[in-house]
Amino acid sequence: MVKTGVPRLDDLLGGDIPKGKSLVYYIQPGVEGEIFGLQTIYTTLIKSGNGVFIASSTSPAVVREQFREFGWNVEPFKKKLTFVDAYNSLIGVPSEEKYAVLKPDNIENFNEIIIKLLQESPPSTIVFGSLSTIMDLCGEKETIEAVRSWNKIAMLYDHVIVYNFTAWPYSEETLDLIKNELFNAVISVGGIAERVIFGQYFGILKADWTEKIRKSMLFRVFRPGGIKLFIPKIVVTGPFNAGKSTFVHSLSNRAISVDRLGTTIAIDHGHVDYKGFSADIFGTPGQERFDPIIKLISGEAMGIFLVVDSTNPEDFVRAKQMLKITKSYGLPFIILANKQDLPGALKPEEIKKLFNLPDDVQVLPVTASNKTGVYEAFEVLIDKITGGI
Amino acid sequence: MADTIELIEKVLADMKKVRGVEACAAVSRDGLLISAIMQNKRFAESFAAMSATMLGAAETATTELNKGVPDRVIVESKRGRLITAGAGPKALIVVLVDSNTGLGLVLLELEKSAEKLKELLL
Repeated sequence: MVKTGVPRLDDLLGGDIPKGKSLVYYIQPGVEGEIFGLQTIYTTLIKSGNGVFIASSTSPAVVREQFREFGWNVEPFKKKLTFVDAYNSLIGVPSEEKYAVLKPDNIENFNEIIIKLLQESPPSTIVFGSLSTIMDLCGEKETIEAVRSWNKIAMLYDHVIVYNFTAWPYSEETLDLIKNELFNAVISVGGIAERVIFGQYFGILKADWTEKIRKSMLFRVFRPGGIKLFIPKIVVTGPFNAGKSTFVHSLSNRAISVDRLGTTIAIDHGHVDYKGFSADIFGTPGQERFDPIIKLISGEAMGIFLVVDSTNPEDFVRAKQMLKITKSYGLPFIILANKQDLPGALKPEEIKKLFNLPDDVQVLPVTASNKTGVYEAFEVLIDKITGGI
Repeated sequence: MADTIELIEKVLADMKKVRGVEACAAVSRDGLLISAIMQNKRFAESFAAMSATMLGAAETATTELNKGVPDRVIVESKRGRLITAGAGPKALIVVLVDSNTGLGLVLLELEKSAEKLKELLL
């Protein structure tokens, strides 16, 4: 059982990559995609599997340094991590690795070493640091033929074989084969510039062992930390004194507020790092006189928390109005029944009735002041934003 | 379009070169950080959100009073100045200036940068 280690991607792939399968990370040039292969091999190692890394675009020493940069200590896994050095001989440096390709521009030589490795190794996660580099050195057609046979042999020996591939302008035919035919799974990794969000995303183009789920996720690369799913904006809104600021602070790893005389007059801003997600949280003021600000900061939200004071049903009308102001309809949103610890707090079901909203709207109980239910609520909203599984 | 971010970074890098400018950032009108040149990146996101709120609040205040859209918001403190200016309908630009540089050149360059940023994000 091999996992990619990329948050959410494993869920989308049906839990893991079955033995014998091949997967390619199809990376747009200019995007930080090569970390995907690294993260997959590191995840294999910490789950006590064996890993093999084929270093073709940098030397194994540089790859080890990259692991360190991401905060991943591979020292304890020395025996389980094998390198194939297909780089040092290019620059005329002798290799210290067990496997070395002495003529990296010769596909025959490559073939010989890789096949030997596939046959000798126990079932492993085999990651090609850069298939595109091999293609540049050995030719497109030749490399594709070699990959075909590597995948077959990997299947026979129960390996999981993973490639990083940067989609430089190769021939249509080559790109087509890679996207559609050669591999069991294709994960596309690209960049977007949508409105003002400049980001990187990944999505599944193909995975033949599970039902295909068309869903793209934004991510960021952290050093240390690796790939984290990135949610640029989650808005927290709700009527005056509902506990919005308290919620932002209890959820965030760090947060700041602009409040005067006990009420938020501009914005609460917090940052959450939780279970592989990195999200920025924007809390709005609650009072009507600040409505222009609420409109301003709720633009481009990916999801909304509507916080209400469960002991104060008079404010629910205003709460519903705020859903309109923030244009929440159509976006993933959940209602948080806050202050559940106070006497007289209404139950989530009762609040749902009073709101008279469609059945699929979720009302969750929280007590922001002591963090009860706060992370559960975050997970529910994240599930809604990322399409839930 | 993928290279837009690099062009924006170039605009910011040029702005940062102006004497007295300690940090600068491009921010979306609704408070998301587009790109920043500042020492402590950790705070860049909240800095962006605050600047957008500040400019937005100032714009609401002056337009409600029939005084039109402000050209910029200048915040002065003992240890520096923070200047926020709109850069088209989608973005704004913020600079942090030390306390002893005259603002003349900074404001002139800020206006130019804002115009460039506006063009880039059209």
